[in-house]
This record gives sequence, C-alpha cells and structure tokens, in this order.
Amino acid sequence: MTIYLYLSLMPEALIASHLPPEDYGAYLALGPKKRSQGQAIFFKLSEAYAKEKLDAYEGVAELRDGRIRRSAYLSIHRVLEQTPLDAIESLHLTSNDGHVLTLLPKEYQPSPGPRFHLYQEFCPVTPRVVSELEPKEFAATITDTSRAVSIPALVFAELILERLGDDPEANGVENLPYGNLEHLRDCLRELRAKSGKSTKLVVRHLEQDVLFRTIHRGFFVAGQGGAFRFFPMPTRSELETTHYAWWRSALRSIRF
Amino acid sequence: MQSNLFWLIPVASILALGFAYWFFKSMVACDEGTPLMREIAQHVREGAMAYLKQQYKVVAIVFAIMTLVFVWLSYGLHLQNKWVPFAFLTGGLFSGLAGFFGMKTATYASARVAHAAHHSLDAGLRLAFRSGAVMGLVVVGLALLDISIWFIVLNKFVTAATEGQRLMIITTTMLTFGMGASLQALFARVGGGIFTKAADVGADLVGKVEAGIPEDDPRNPATIADNVGDNVGDVAGMGADLYESYVGSILATAALGAAAFTQAGQNENAFKAILAPMVVAAIGTVLSIIGIFAVSVKKGASQKDLLNALGRGVNLSSLLIFITSFFILKALDLPNYTGIWGAIVVGLLTGIVIGKATEYFTSQEYKPTRAIAESAATGPATVIISGLGTGMLSTVVPVTAVVIGTTLAYCFAAGDWHFSPDHIGMGLYGIGIAAVGMLSTLGITLATDAYGPIADNAGGNAEMAGLPPEVRRRTDALDSLGNTTAATGKGFAIGSAALTALALLASYVEELKMAMMHAGQTTMEVSSVQVPIISATLTQFMTHFEVHLLNPKVILGVFIGSMMSFVFCGLTINAVGRAAQSMVEEVRRQFKEKPGILRGEDKPDYARCVAISTVGAQREMILPSMLAVLVPIGVGLIFGVPGVFGLLSGGLATGFVLAVFMANSGGAWDNAKKYVEEGHLGGKGSSAHKATVIGDTIGDPFKDTAGPSLNILIKLMSMVSIVTAGVNIAFTLF
Repeated sequence: MTIYLYLSLMPEALIASHLPPEDYGAYLALGPKKRSQGQAIFFKLSEAYAKEKLDAYEGVAELRDGRIRRSAYLSIHRVLEQTPLDAIESLHLTSNDGHVLTLLPKEYQPSPGPRFHLYQEFCPVTPRVVSELEPKEFAATITDTSRAVSIPALVFAELILERLGDDPEANGVENLPYGNLEHLRDCLRELRAKSGKSTKLVVRHLEQDVLFRTIHRGFFVAGQGGAFRFFPMPTRSELETTHYAWWRSALRSIRF
Repeated sequence: MQSNLFWLIPVASILALGFAYWFFKSMVACDEGTPLMREIAQHVREGAMAYLKQQYKVVAIVFAIMTLVFVWLSYGLHLQNKWVPFAFLTGGLFSGLAGFFGMKTATYASARVAHAAHHSLDAGLRLAFRSGAVMGLVVVGLALLDISIWFIVLNKFVTAATEGQRLMIITTTMLTFGMGASLQALFARVGGGIFTKAADVGADLVGKVEAGIPEDDPRNPATIADNVGDNVGDVAGMGADLYESYVGSILATAALGAAAFTQAGQNENAFKAILAPMVVAAIGTVLSIIGIFAVSVKKGASQKDLLNALGRGVNLSSLLIFITSFFILKALDLPNYTGIWGAIVVGLLTGIVIGKATEYFTSQEYKPTRAIAESAATGPATVIISGLGTGMLSTVVPVTAVVIGTTLAYCFAAGDWHFSPDHIGMGLYGIGIAAVGMLSTLGITLATDAYGPIADNAGGNAEMAGLPPEVRRRTDALDSLGNTTAATGKGFAIGSAALTALALLASYVEELKMAMMHAGQTTMEVSSVQVPIISATLTQFMTHFEVHLLNPKVILGVFIGSMMSFVFCGLTINAVGRAAQSMVEEVRRQFKEKPGILRGEDKPDYARCVAISTVGAQREMILPSMLAVLVPIGVGLIFGVPGVFGLLSGGLATGFVLAVFMANSGGAWDNAKKYVEEGHLGGKGSSAHKATVIGDTIGDPFKDTAGPSLNILIKLMSMVSIVTAGVNIAFTLF
C-alpha cells in the first residue's frame, strides 16, 4: 500500500497518509464525516524522500498495518526548514468544499513588474507584507539568516495589487478584495518614502481564507543558500476550461 | 356589428392556445443535450410535477369544501345566484391548468435552452423566450376561453325583468369565477413562494455556510429543489397571480360598465361597455403574439442587445395596442370613447412607469442598489439598514403612478375633471379599463417573466453538466437578463394587482346591488327616502350602507385590513424560515449518512429535499390562505358592509405599499450581491460579498414569498367579499 508524505502549510505539519493528493485534500477540507470545512494548502513530497523519512517516525507502522485509517501526523514543528526543496514534488490548493488543484514546479523567469509587490506568507509564518523586492529577491532577503529579521525557509505567494503596484495614490482600486485599503496605501506610501526599507508589514497574520483568485503569478518557496522553487498558477483561460470545477469552487465557495 | 366583435374573444383565445401548443411542440422537438443534462432536467421535472401533484391535492380538498359551502349558500339559503359554485370551480380549474402547462413547458425547456446556447446566444434566447411565451399565451388563452364560455352560457340562460338587469346579473355572476382563480392563485403564490425560498435559502445555507458548496452544485442535495422552486414560484405562481389579475380586471370592468350604463337606462351601451374590456384583451393577445415573433438577436449580441430584444417585443405590442384600442372603441361606438381610450393609455403608461421605477430601484446599474452594495464595506448591518430604507423609498414612484394613473383614468372616462358624483360610474369604469390596458399585452409581458426561471434553470443545468465556458457564458448572459425581467415583472404584477383590486372594490357595490335584488328587495332607504335599487347610484349605496370615514365600523375595518397585510407577511416569512431549517437538517443528515456525496462518490437524495420543501409549503400555506378567506367573511358578519369596505380599503392601501417595499428591498439586496459578485468592492469571497449575501438571504422571502403573496391577498379579500355579498346583506351582527 502506498503511503504518501505531505507537508501541510496551514498549519505547518508533516503528515503521512494512504490517501492520494485529491482525496487527501478533500479529507483535509471536509473531514471524515463532513463535520468540518476549510481550505487547505499542502505539498506532496517525493516518493524517494518519503521512503527515506517514513521509517524514522512512530505512527507509520500503525498506518501501514491499518490501525490508522487515513493519516498520521509525524511532525508539527520546523518542518518546512528541515525539508529539502528538491523533495517538494507538487503543491495542492484545496477549496472549502474539497476541490483540489495541483500545481507543478516550473523554472522561475523574472519579468519586469510593478514597483511594489504584495506578498502573503503561508508557512511557517503568515503575515502579509508589501515589498519593493521582486519575488526571488524577496525570497533571498527573507531567508538570509545573517539579517536580524529572517527565517530559514518560507512559502509565500504574490497577490494582485493592480494600479497600487505603481502608485499608492492610484484611484479606481476600490474593487481590490482587501480589508482596510487605506492602511494598505499607507504601507505603500511609507515604503515609497523611506529609502533603505524594502519591506513593510501590512497584516500580522492570515485571519481569513485565501482568495485564490487574488494570487498573482503563483507560489514561491524560499530555502537556505538561495534555494527557490516556483509553482505557477494556471492562466485564467486554463482555470475556466481545464480546471473549471476547482475554479468555480474557489470563486464561489465562501465561508462565514 | 358590435355583438359580432364578441367572437374576437374566443378566436383570440384559440389563437393564443394554438401558438402556445406550436411553441411547446417546437421546443420539445429540440435536442435536450448530453445524458447528464437530460438526467438533471429529469430530476427537476419530476420534482416540479411531484410538487404540483401534492399542491393540487390540497387545493382540490379546499375547493371541494368551498364549493359545498357555495352550493349551500346558493341552493340552501338562496343568498347567491345558482351559477356561483360552478363559476368558482371553473376559475380555479383554468388557473390550475395554466400553471400546469406553464410548469411543464418550463421544466422541459431548461436543458434544451442550455443545449441551444451551444449553437448561439440567439438560439438560446429564442427558445427560452418562446418557452416562456407558452405560459403567457396559455394564461391569456385560457382566461379568454373561460370568459367566452361563461358569457355565451349566461347570455343564453340568464333571464331578468329588463335587459339592463340581465346584463348586470351576467357580469356580476362572471365576476365570481374570479374567486376560483383568486383562491388557486393564493395557493400557487403562497405555496410556491414558501417552496422556492425554503429550497433556495436551505440550499444556500447548506452550500455557503455549512459545506462551502457553491450554488448549482450537483453534490448539494437541495440544488434540484432550488431549481424546482424557480419554476414553482416564478412560473406557476406568477402565472396564477397574473391570470387572476387579468380575469379580475376584465370582469370587474365589465360589471362596472354594465352598471354605469344600465343606471342611465342605456342598455345597448351597457352591452358595448361589457364587450370593450374583453375585445381590448383579445386584440392585445393577438398583438402579443406578433410581439413574441419580434424577439431575436444577431450573432455576437451583448447584454444590452438581449435586453433591447425583449424590450422590442414588449414595446411593439404596447404600441400596437395603443393604436388599435382606439379603433376598437371607435368601432364599438361607446359614448366618450376617446376618454375611455385615454384611460387605456393611462393604464399602459402606469405599467411602464412602475416597471421602470422597479428597475431603477432594484438594478445594479443604478445608484440605489450600488449604494446598498457600497454599504457592505461596513458590514451586514448597514446592508440591511440601507436595503430597508431603499425599499421604503422605492414605494414613492409606483404609488404616485397609481394615484396619478387612477385620477387620470377616472377623469378621462368620466369626461369630467371635478370628480362629480354624477359621473362616478363612468369614472370607476375608467379605472377598471386602465387595469385592462395595463394587462392587455399580458401574453408577452408574462412571457418575459416566465423566461427568467427557464434561463436560470438553463444556467444551472449548464453548470451542473459542466458545459464548455462559452456555453456557460451564454447561459449566464441569458440568466442575467432573466434577473432584470423578473424584478420588473414583480413590479408590474403588483401595480396591476393594485389597479385590479381598485376595480374589484368598486364592483363590490354592484354585487351588493345584485344580492339585495336576489333577496327580493326592490327599494332601499337613502336619507329617509325609498330609492329603487336597480337605478340607485353608487353614492346612494354608500349613503344607505353608511360607508363614510366617521363610521367607526369603516375605521375598524381599515385597521383590520392593514393588519392583515402584516400578519400575512409575518406568517409567510416565518414559514420560509421554518421550511428552510427543515431543509438544512435534511441536507446535514444526508451528508452525515453518506459522506461520499461531498466527494462526488455518492448521489444525493434530491427527491427527499423536494418532498421536504413540498410538505413544508403545503403545511405552511394553509393558515395564511384560510385567513385571507375567513377574515373578510368574519368582518362582514360582525361589522357588515361598512366594515368590509374598510377592510378592503385598508388591505389594499397597506398591502400595495408593503408589497412594493418587500419586492424592491429583496430585489435590491439580490442585485447588490450580484454587483459585488461581478468583481466590485472586493468581489466574491470578500467581506463585502459576505455582507451582501446576508442581505440577499433576508431579502429572499421578502421578494419571492411575502411581497408577491400580498398581490393575491388584496385581490382575494375583494373577491371573497364579492362572492359573499349576499351573506353580508342577510346577516350582520352590528
């Protein structure tokens, strides 16, 4: 029987499960008896890495002999920083009602973008920040342990900023789905005014569901020594055709 | 020559039914799409028919009891004429038939429309609209058929001392078949309204709050009930409501016309005045058919083009009736026919003004609804507050339009701008024929209403069957158009109900006159003078029965009438809450017992949810329906005719305004949510969206249950009073 190894981002955990990614996503979102609901974001780790790691953990034996039916938590502390980025095979985004979208890594090509970027961090910390750094630079800076404010590894995504990306004073951005837009503008203004400060905290931690439609470009994983992986989001057209069930669910499913 | 014009009515009826049949056959001949599309459509069809079957069972029992009561009143106590029980039965039967055919067509059409949208937007629009037209044409066709049959039968069998008296007996007898239609409409509207919103709110609560499942997701067990509900509420319910307004306005006008001219001893003109509303309605039916053929769009049409296409059909029919009604009245050679024509035009214009005002206050294209959406920035509380405020303000234009329209119609027809008591009869006839003018093109206006749920179900079918994005975009465009027509249709239904109820209120006096004569009275005392009943004026009747505002019995009636509107709303809104709760519990049960449903491995039990909504609707509709029937009788028995006048006036004034408020608040909340969903103010999933979803959920029973049901309440209370006028004359406590 295949045992999959997953790295859950919300909350951070290393989990072994019989269930393949689609079923595991639905299980995470809905629970075994439909008594819970909620988004989930997790990585599937490679089979080779799983083979290497699984025997080291208690609980896997119970999973193997069927005493545990679905999944076993193996670790819940500093999991991301201990996972080599090469072991991350795919990223899975699960909507509230259990639809799963699989993202595969792709080589990152920096493209000329706006002056400011909005980043949502997912693991191991969850603040939302604005930054003048483009994703790869941001990844390198935040994981530079020689700096006082740093972290060994980070998963984050870039969110849409529309015209605010170039001008914090821009009009016609009232349709951005972020609470307290004026505070966001203030943060961008501060970033623009203070030379030497490249990043500014906007929200201390993620309080609500992630609006997947606000993801710009995709997800990034930053690790030590400049390790970097990029999981691009499908284009809008691909979402509306190939991944319609997930896209529809991601758009329409809301949680109160 | 004039009596030959009568034959236009059965001819128009047969034409309407013939075209309805042709549209139905053409629709059924279209491909229903993939096996999954067929399966989904079949679930909706079965659910809709199961609902109708259950509803008609309950209605049949109530009709059987009521018929026995009328038989006893007519043949036992001799308080009514002998035709009343039969007229009552046919009114209910024809209204029920119209609902059945309309629902059948709509549930057959949805998957076919989705499939037609594969080819082009125009193909989808034409099929959806012509399927909606089946409802419109069946309603007017059956109504005209019922009117024709009864007129022919009564004309042959009714005898009286004078021709004028005979005409008055015929028209007042025909008016009683309106009560059958009215009672059937009440069950269709109240039951349908509770069903549709229990299913909708239940599906939403489970989908959005419980399981995070989006609307129209086949995993949601309540989703089929939701689709069934669209048909039950907006096709059968709306059809029955307008059927009743249509026959009510025609028959009340005929009765008022007969009275106005008979009083003056002009029997020939009385006959023409009876024919006029019927012939205008008949010609309006033919013109509606012409309008239906004018609805189409070119390839690559935008949303605006779609709206214009429907507008073109409706406007063409309205313009043609505007012109032809003049020549009809001229051919009938009625006295002051230009004034009567003016009243018809006023009715048409009042309908247009109410429709536009409704659109302004409920469409996201305009400021009021956008302001509600913008208030979502500060949470659901402000959404609710601004929605209530907007709904209340939205009553200004429709009420003013009815006030101005009624004044103009009265004065045009009376040929007198001083409200002189000498011309009351003609003035009231003008109000009646204004309602007929508004409803004359019902064939096409109801087609635009019934189009809405068909397009909505087509969209649901396309979503559930996972049709390609370009098809879904087309069905979304058709659905969005349906949302606009649904809101204006509700405004039109309320406005026409108000005018019809006004005409019915006036006809109540005629029924009293007939009841007194039926009881053997020939004279009545007016200011200590004995006046012959047959030639008594309306003012003399009011004096005889002491119907004036200083009579406490009138004021008490007004209070009770006003209260009735609120009690009725409260009962229906609470009914939706309870039925929706049962639905949520059932869906929870299914998810718990079959966890595979959410993973798409198990099929939900759709039929069980339909059954729960059906049972809930049937159980909950009994009390409000019985109140609407029993309160006018009770008030009549206690406070007599003045009390009944007060009740009807209070019910009409409060019910009309409350119905506009309810429908427009609900419509505005609904579209404020849609405005956010279009991507404004944060779009789907944002906190603004969540706030507007709460507003929309509150507004659901407002706009689709309580508001539309009030239309029927105000008409049914008048109809019950009309039919039981004999009882009011014979028995009264005070």
